[in-house]
Amino acid sequence: MSQLSTKHLLGIKDITADDINLIFETADNFKEVINRPIKKVPSLRDITIANIFFENSTRTKLSFELAEKRLSADVVNFSSSNSSVKKGETLVDTVNNILSMKVDMVVMRHSSPGAPHFLSRNIKANIVNAGDGTHEHPTQALLDAFSIREKLGDVAGKKVAIIGDILHSRVALSNIFCLQKLGAEVMVCGPTTLLPKYIGSLGVKVEHDVNKALQWCDVANILRIQLERQQIKYFPSLREYALYFGVNKKMLDNLDKEIVIMHPGPINRGVELNSDVADSEHSIILNQVENGVAVRMAVLYLLAGVR
Amino acid sequence: MTILLKSLSFIDSKGIHKPDDYIFDGGSFVKAAPTIPKQIDQTLDCTGLFGSAGWVDLRCMACEPGEEYKESLDSLGALLQASGFSKAVLMPNTHPAIQNKNDIQFLKSKTSGWFTEAVIQASITKDNKGEDFTDILDLNSHGAFVFGDGLNPLSNPDRLAKVLQYLQKFDGILFDHSYEPLLALFGQMHEGLVSTKIGMKGIPGLAEEIAVKKNLDILRYTGGRLHFQTISTKGAVEAIRLAKQEGLSVTCDTSIYHLLFSDEDLQTFDSNFKVNPPFRDHENILALIEGLQDGTIDALVSNHQPQDIDAKHMEFDLAQSGTIGLQTFLPAMAKLSDQLGWQLLISKITDGPRRVLGEDLSSISSLTIFDPSEAWHYNHKSNLSLSSNHPWMNSTLQGKVKFVINRDKLNKL
Repeated sequence: MSQLSTKHLLGIKDITADDINLIFETADNFKEVINRPIKKVPSLRDITIANIFFENSTRTKLSFELAEKRLSADVVNFSSSNSSVKKGETLVDTVNNILSMKVDMVVMRHSSPGAPHFLSRNIKANIVNAGDGTHEHPTQALLDAFSIREKLGDVAGKKVAIIGDILHSRVALSNIFCLQKLGAEVMVCGPTTLLPKYIGSLGVKVEHDVNKALQWCDVANILRIQLERQQIKYFPSLREYALYFGVNKKMLDNLDKEIVIMHPGPINRGVELNSDVADSEHSIILNQVENGVAVRMAVLYLLAGVR
Repeated sequence: MTILLKSLSFIDSKGIHKPDDYIFDGGSFVKAAPTIPKQIDQTLDCTGLFGSAGWVDLRCMACEPGEEYKESLDSLGALLQASGFSKAVLMPNTHPAIQNKNDIQFLKSKTSGWFTEAVIQASITKDNKGEDFTDILDLNSHGAFVFGDGLNPLSNPDRLAKVLQYLQKFDGILFDHSYEPLLALFGQMHEGLVSTKIGMKGIPGLAEEIAVKKNLDILRYTGGRLHFQTISTKGAVEAIRLAKQEGLSVTCDTSIYHLLFSDEDLQTFDSNFKVNPPFRDHENILALIEGLQDGTIDALVSNHQPQDIDAKHMEFDLAQSGTIGLQTFLPAMAKLSDQLGWQLLISKITDGPRRVLGEDLSSISSLTIFDPSEAWHYNHKSNLSLSSNHPWMNSTLQGKVKFVINRDKLNKL
């Protein structure tokens, strides 16, 4: 298999395990490329990519832009803070205006679940979902699984605990779909108010005790508290959250095994994750960031192939 | 006008009768045999057609005044007539709301020429906000006897209790779309496995169940007449079933589309499936069907809520709720006819809603005659609404209304 089964990357739900493995194999090559002295390849020369971000982003936007530039694509950036969206323009109008300038691919982040799916029915360009509200963040899940594979050799058979604000997390959903497709066991852990009531129906284990989750897993993916997406109160205070759901070094020292610590960033240090863990030898957080560029290069390269 | 209906298969509470000839004169409906009156003004060949008493929709919306571009009173009148409805209750969620005698007079004058009889539901609180009461007795003196805030629930228990007491002066009926707004806050769809999979904030069935149970407790305390609109949950059906057994003066309806669509239809993020109450899961749909069959649910409604393209063609969570539902009502029944049977379906848009409105069922003053199997294409050309927010747009449907007769008016379609 040398081609993806889809024209867009809207979510992990919509792609196959073969697609994921193809992305990983391609990313292996690109990881080697970005560690060369000359980090650029001409694969997407003459392809124009628009990064359209209707929500704030630092690392995802930077990572996509870097991936695009390493592939020699022409890149334009657009964010809602300096756009006509604030003047009341619709999503389709905004994107169509950009596409009229002959853009081939769109990387979009949006606060509405399903916004890229809606867009895919209305425009012709390839779409990469860079996060849609509380739905999916497929490239994050791909780079997370890629990082686990790199660290532990394989994803199949591994136990991964996703700990934190699952309710407001697009990373959690995409991770669940991706890890399950690759044969891993998944547990979610957090306060009951931050776990969707029906999350167990997705075939994941549900736990509310962080120590038990850490004891169970091979990999702990700690998610940030999404204060910006919490429209109402879900727990009493950040102090209480840090005390009962935060992960610190002492907790890891009490385990009878070594586990891998991940975090999609940005970290609320001292809340969901203490610095003594984030910066420890257990952590592969910065490897995730590096792998993010390689995985996004692979996704863009492969999608360009099905244009 | 005396009309001879030849070879009509008539449906009533006794079942589907064998094809026969009938005479209808606007006030009585009788078999033509053995003697046909000499004076026949019209003869309609009804071979292969079904007929019933005229259909009644307890919940539909005109957007006039305020948003005439979505559905004007003129377009709604034409739509109701073509869809087979001889009577319809109009929701008060216009801009301004239907909340004073001038509003009632405006609607009366605009609907006086309609083929369909309009029952004007008046707002029970100002601007349908659930706080200050409208001038209820004054509105009643101008003809309103059905009250309610339409799309909005009357969730304040004190307001609901006072209203149920106050309406008793003239046997007024409170129509309420009951749900607890704080439990539905920011919700976009039914809360369940599908909402979890697509990361969408859910509206738990609990939001409706808790409000229905609370309102039944209040009704038990106050007395009065309460009609729940568009119930969608198993818990609501069970609570109303028990309340009816207890003898409370309660009735309810559900939208026909809540029997046909489920939360699984939302997986593509198509905003045409965004409605309030949301399309639920199969367990709730089965409970609604059971409720229709055992008489707990009295009526089926269209819940016709027009939205223009600019209110729907956007991100799912930003889109407005609602589907249009009149012209597709018969095709919706046709899709359900194998499962539920025509007799039951027809009873829920004839005797059922007429009982809710307190009407005498001994006479028939209107008829709807239809072909249950005629296929037609539902598209922007055949659509009579000013809006087109329906999941079946651009598809072939089965079931077409052929004649509607309301007293002395005949409409051939």
